[in-house]
Amino acid sequence: MLHLLKIDLKKLTSYLTFWVICGLYFLTLGFTTASGMEILKWLASKGAEFGASININRIPLYHFPDIWQNLIWISGLFKIVLAVMVVISITNEYQYRTLRQNIIDGLSRGEFLKSKILTNVLLSLMSVAMILSIALITGSIYTPEVEWDFFFLGSEFFFAYFLEVFAFLSYALMLGVLVQRSGLTIVLLMLSNMIEAIIKLNIFRSGGEEQIGWLKQFFPLESITNLVPLPFARYAFQEIQDCVTFSAIAIAIIWAILFNYFSYLKLKKSDI
Amino acid sequence: METVLSIQKLTKNFGKLCAVNHLDLEVLRGQVFGLLGPNGSGKTTTLGMLMGVVNLTSGSFSWFGETATHHTRKKIGAVLEHPIFYPYLSGQKNLELNAMIKGADPKNIAKVLDTVELTARKDDKYRTYSLGMKQRLAIASALVSDPIILILDEPTNGLDPMGIAEIREIIKKIAAEGKTIILASHLLDEVQKVCTHFAVLKRGTLMHVGPVDDVGKGEEIVEVHAYHDDLGVLLQEFVGSASIKRESGLYQVMMKDGFHSKDLNHFLFDKGIVASHLATRKKSLEKQFLEILSDTSHKS
Ligand SMILES: Nc1ncnc2c1ncn2[C@@H]1O[C@H](COP(=O)(O)OP(=O)(O)O)[C@@H](O)[C@H]1O
Ligand SMILES: [Mg+2]
Repeated sequence: MLHLLKIDLKKLTSYLTFWVICGLYFLTLGFTTASGMEILKWLASKGAEFGASININRIPLYHFPDIWQNLIWISGLFKIVLAVMVVISITNEYQYRTLRQNIIDGLSRGEFLKSKILTNVLLSLMSVAMILSIALITGSIYTPEVEWDFFFLGSEFFFAYFLEVFAFLSYALMLGVLVQRSGLTIVLLMLSNMIEAIIKLNIFRSGGEEQIGWLKQFFPLESITNLVPLPFARYAFQEIQDCVTFSAIAIAIIWAILFNYFSYLKLKKSDI
Repeated sequence: METVLSIQKLTKNFGKLCAVNHLDLEVLRGQVFGLLGPNGSGKTTTLGMLMGVVNLTSGSFSWFGETATHHTRKKIGAVLEHPIFYPYLSGQKNLELNAMIKGADPKNIAKVLDTVELTARKDDKYRTYSLGMKQRLAIASALVSDPIILILDEPTNGLDPMGIAEIREIIKKIAAEGKTIILASHLLDEVQKVCTHFAVLKRGTLMHVGPVDDVGKGEEIVEVHAYHDDLGVLLQEFVGSASIKRESGLYQVMMKDGFHSKDLNHFLFDKGIVASHLATRKKSLEKQFLEILSDTSHKS
């Protein structure tokens, strides 16, 4: 297992594009999630110019335990950047034909795919570690009274976040294996949500919503977004779902497995 | 001798096109085996099946007497069609990656870089290499696991005469170390110069298989020239001549079985003629190859 991961990392760690994209990802992810309060302050000062006054300290954006869901939801928006990196990594193997040479040299097709999946796991875990540390630091700064049990309330969100990133990267990997060309794959990846939305719109239009609306949660990309619900409406005195549901986890896990299985089937049956 | 590769009824169809058709072949340890055939005759496809990148339509093969898995491939060094490497990695890093995949000792890398004379350029990125250097790096990568058998597919394709000579020297050097080699090529003289055995493929079908040494057996041609006006007529009197042709001022005498240039020389000497030129030509592989290929086009 570790051997396969090392093989894929060996390919990536001397690749400048990898460092640039991953660097940008972790930097923007870190800065954005760490500087939410500064953004709020800036917004408030703008608001004050127009005579409105918001007391930003009344919005517990960075207070335990709210901070977990808040930061993780925001972080989820950045996963597309990692997914682009995954697409480049796999489509390069087709473009340079190195996939072919890897197999000739003695990797099985399954092992080749495993090496890519393991990198996806690693990237997902690194995202989790990054957000975990930022949440712990900023939470400790901004929360007036820190209680220990707040820490544990967040754990389910971290699992959901891991799954969210991993399932999406699996989806990107599958697209890469199926399409094999980087430009086209990246465009498809960007449009995926929209394409899925159009399909849903056509299925559920004209009143079908009530009878079959529950089917929506089973759509692949929707299942990924459903893992961590949008939290911010709670600051406008609305009810939000502030937990991760078991069904959302189960559906996303099944999709993650399917994405990788489809990649495997495609690899297995094609001449390379 | 020990069988390294044994192929039974190997077949590959691409849709309607039959690229390899019921191929049977055996390669023994120590052979330098040439796979000869014009472009598109199915050489690369055959090797692709043997190396697990092309799925078989039917048939089977075994390496070292065992059914092939990806572990078997680690014991084989192969380059199919073109050198394939990560362009942004240096030669050294590319070989490290090959060694990792093959489970080979990274200490071999320095040695194989030396064999192909790339040590001086090992830290430059692969994409800055010339075609000849790329081909040589490919041979190095095939050698990195100290394999029992080496598979090379058109290793001199696209090279200038210098590059071609370099590659052939390397191949001969490797063969002299006792490694089994399979060499696919559409170049006849390449196979003739390098190989001990060869097979000829045409449109996916095996046309001929045998040792290179056998080529031209019993088909000796003697070129002669002498200052004598009726040399052509005289030569017909020689009992050992099967047929006589005149080409660029020389007579070419196709010898009957058991007759050699010595006998012809003797004959001329008895007639009081001294040959100013006398040379034995074995029938070249090229002629035989063309014959093999044209034979069947008559039939089909
Ligand atoms: N992936 C493929 N799809 C369709 N046809 C192919 C494919 N690969 C090879 N062929 C065809 O199979 C035949 C044999 O090709 P190849 O094995 O490359 O020949 P060679 O290596 O002897 O030049 C050719 O007619 C070629 O066009
Ligand atoms: Mg070929």
